[in-house]
Amino acid sequence: MSLEEDRAVQAAKDTVVRETDQGFRVLGSPDKSVTHQHDVDRIEEFDVTNEMIQESGDNPEAWLTYGGNYEQHRRTTADVITPDNVADLEVEYILDVGAGSSMEGTPLIVPGDPPIMYQSNGPNHVKAIDAREGDILWSYTYAVPSDVVLCCDDNNRGVAAYGDKVFMTTLDSGVVALDRYTGEEVWHTSTADHEEGYSATWAPIAYDGMIFTGSAGGEYGVRGFHKALDAETGDELWHTWTSPETEWVGDSINQSCATNWMNATVDVEQRRLYLPIGNPGPDFDGSVRPGPNRNSCGTLALDMDTGERLWTHQEVAHDVWDYDSAAPRVLIRDMEIEHRNTTKDVVVSAGKTAWLYTMDTETGELIERSEPGVQQLNMYRMIPHIDEGRRMPFMPGAMGGNDWQPPAYNPETGLMYTKMNNSPQEAWWRFEEYEEGKKYWGGILEDETEAVPDEYNGKISAIVAINPETGERVWRDWIESDAYIWGGMVTTETGVVFTGTQNGDFIAYDGESGDRLWEYDLGEASIAGSPMSWYDPETEKQYVAIQVGGSGWLRRGAGGRDTRLAVFSLSE
Amino acid sequence: MTTAQITDEAQRQLARTFDVEQVVDGDRLTIERLREEVKREEDPEFASMGEAIRSDLSGKVDTELLDEQLEELSDQFERLPEVRERGIPEGDREPESLYRELADPGWEIYEHLLEIDFFESLEANLPRFTPEHIEGTAHELIGSDELTAELEALGFDEQERIALVMDVTNNNDRLARWVPTKEIPADVEFGVEHVPPLHQRAAGGTLLWIDSLDVHLWQNRVLVTDEILDDASWDVKALLGGFYLLAQAALEIGREEGLTDSQLTAAITAGAAITIVNQEEICKNVFWITEEMRAPSEAR
Repeated sequence: MSLEEDRAVQAAKDTVVRETDQGFRVLGSPDKSVTHQHDVDRIEEFDVTNEMIQESGDNPEAWLTYGGNYEQHRRTTADVITPDNVADLEVEYILDVGAGSSMEGTPLIVPGDPPIMYQSNGPNHVKAIDAREGDILWSYTYAVPSDVVLCCDDNNRGVAAYGDKVFMTTLDSGVVALDRYTGEEVWHTSTADHEEGYSATWAPIAYDGMIFTGSAGGEYGVRGFHKALDAETGDELWHTWTSPETEWVGDSINQSCATNWMNATVDVEQRRLYLPIGNPGPDFDGSVRPGPNRNSCGTLALDMDTGERLWTHQEVAHDVWDYDSAAPRVLIRDMEIEHRNTTKDVVVSAGKTAWLYTMDTETGELIERSEPGVQQLNMYRMIPHIDEGRRMPFMPGAMGGNDWQPPAYNPETGLMYTKMNNSPQEAWWRFEEYEEGKKYWGGILEDETEAVPDEYNGKISAIVAINPETGERVWRDWIESDAYIWGGMVTTETGVVFTGTQNGDFIAYDGESGDRLWEYDLGEASIAGSPMSWYDPETEKQYVAIQVGGSGWLRRGAGGRDTRLAVFSLSE
Repeated sequence: MTTAQITDEAQRQLARTFDVEQVVDGDRLTIERLREEVKREEDPEFASMGEAIRSDLSGKVDTELLDEQLEELSDQFERLPEVRERGIPEGDREPESLYRELADPGWEIYEHLLEIDFFESLEANLPRFTPEHIEGTAHELIGSDELTAELEALGFDEQERIALVMDVTNNNDRLARWVPTKEIPADVEFGVEHVPPLHQRAAGGTLLWIDSLDVHLWQNRVLVTDEILDDASWDVKALLGGFYLLAQAALEIGREEGLTDSQLTAAITAGAAITIVNQEEICKNVFWITEEMRAPSEAR
């Protein structure tokens, strides 16, 4: 069956995403969600269990949760591809997914015969794909309400698989559960009112009968939260505001933002969640939200059974630069910390500030703050008020550093791999009209700066390897372009690191040295997706998949839309 | 323990405000010298504002509570050298309460001021921080033995008192950005119902910054230097000094004696200005730890 006959694909294609003064609007979405089934009989029926997901990081045939494992390492134990043979990597297939909107996702692989890939992209479109053949088995498009407003495009970064279902967040701040075998909707739960400015774009996380999901809308004056839903029914199990009233002055809490707009890292041993937390609201006018705004711009640890707040580590107090700390946290067990003569579980954050923060999982105590991954110029200087008529380009800009793009961690090299922007921006604060559901920045952000800091090297982004134990920056590959870098990383047990660039290049690095081992030109479109990898014992090949296409807020044409899913392979 | 840093330029600016001549670099202005230049005439506008606030809050202030908590707060000033000596709170799994204790009496006072709509009254009766209002405040502050004596009794030495006066006089632009909620222009309003009154933001923000020091310094000890701790010590002292002036003004309203109406207005405005300026200072000096400010890494 061709894509033209796929009603879900057509529904996604008919949906138009338009950038307006208030953000991105999704128009022309279907009135009702649409499922279109192709050859669904190819999907083997068995439950995806906790144990399977827990072992996903050690199972070369699986990629069962957004970050590859609950610890979010983005590392595969598939070992066919090595630094020595990666140059022989070939295109297995390039699949046109049909809906050419935001492409920021990471596909999942449920192992089997054939392995089933669950792949999503904007606007809330998801497919089950025979990953061996590249055939679409079912597709689904959610009916996004036309009054949804989004800061940064109709992004969807992936799904969760658990039991007999897959789960996707919906742009109107909800979670939809689909039958994993048929693509039919089982339940939908609204987690907040999108008319107040809430939305949802991340891949939810499933564990022990619970679906963990957060909150977006940090540019619209909402109040951030995290929730657990019952995986079977969608019922809410608990709800926790990211910020307590006691940390804010008076009613400023009601528009405090501090949203949790990327997903949780699950500590199954301690039954904890580690959450990335975004900017306080409004973004640039701090005078209406005095104090450190403590739970914003940092890491929040929660008890996964009750939602109780355990600790928070703030990276930027009283932020006025939109320095979210958005990227998923990386949990490293038993890290040997030589200079302290101790071994500890640590959780690592790659922030917009361009530092990596390595923290004790028990307390949030900072064990090490790394060398900066990119340039820090005019950093932490108070932004001017609009009336001053003064300009002050600062670096990292509001894109980071490391924004949402998920880093990878390789236990074999002991290094974390991150993608960072390196570009000045300017911001001013001023009074700004606030209406519920509309932008609530309290200022202006400008990324076309009048001047750049004298010391700026002119290189807009970098791929950086940092040792989370010592904070040493081990290697860095500057990426030059007109557009920002976006999307995540994957690393292999054998020491290869894959990532895409805003220039359309898909690159394999030697994880130890940073040498480029292989490159593939996927065209002019940006690569905003995050790669993943698996091994198929039937074909005896290791595969690497990457979604091709840009997404909003990438500047200067968003690096181009695209509709492709590129899958590369190498035989044993 | 560190003391306030006063630059020659800051002194010259202060001298201009009070029309004091012949300040040469290295020369130190004193409260006494400034006072010689201040005319002791009561400003009718200031008096009218103070009177309106007194009228609003008449009979509402719990003087016993404020008296007791100001005494407690005064005791906390005496703890500051010890807090600086300890620097970073101890604790295995979480920080002990070291800096938070400094703010405890402040929270008791703050809660009471909320209960009696103190901040609403200030919002209704006081103007924004215009250069004229700030200048008037500075003159009242300097001209009032009572106010400067309060600061001296709390342990602010001559240089520190001058530094607090400079917080008021030398920051017109910074203070002007903190606008009373009621004066946010009609065409550019926030969800105003969620923006607390200006003086509540000044007072509440002060206490939140001090409260956060325990966990900030404890979690980030690998970054913290003696210089950062010295700065924290002064910034906290200044914040508490500003807060004390605000709270003392509330007590004076309840007692219906002591400060004149003009002095009441000046105490409130000066207190708020000092807390606002030092909230920005503690951000820069203690919380926003750049690569240049941080302690060297022990791991590399």
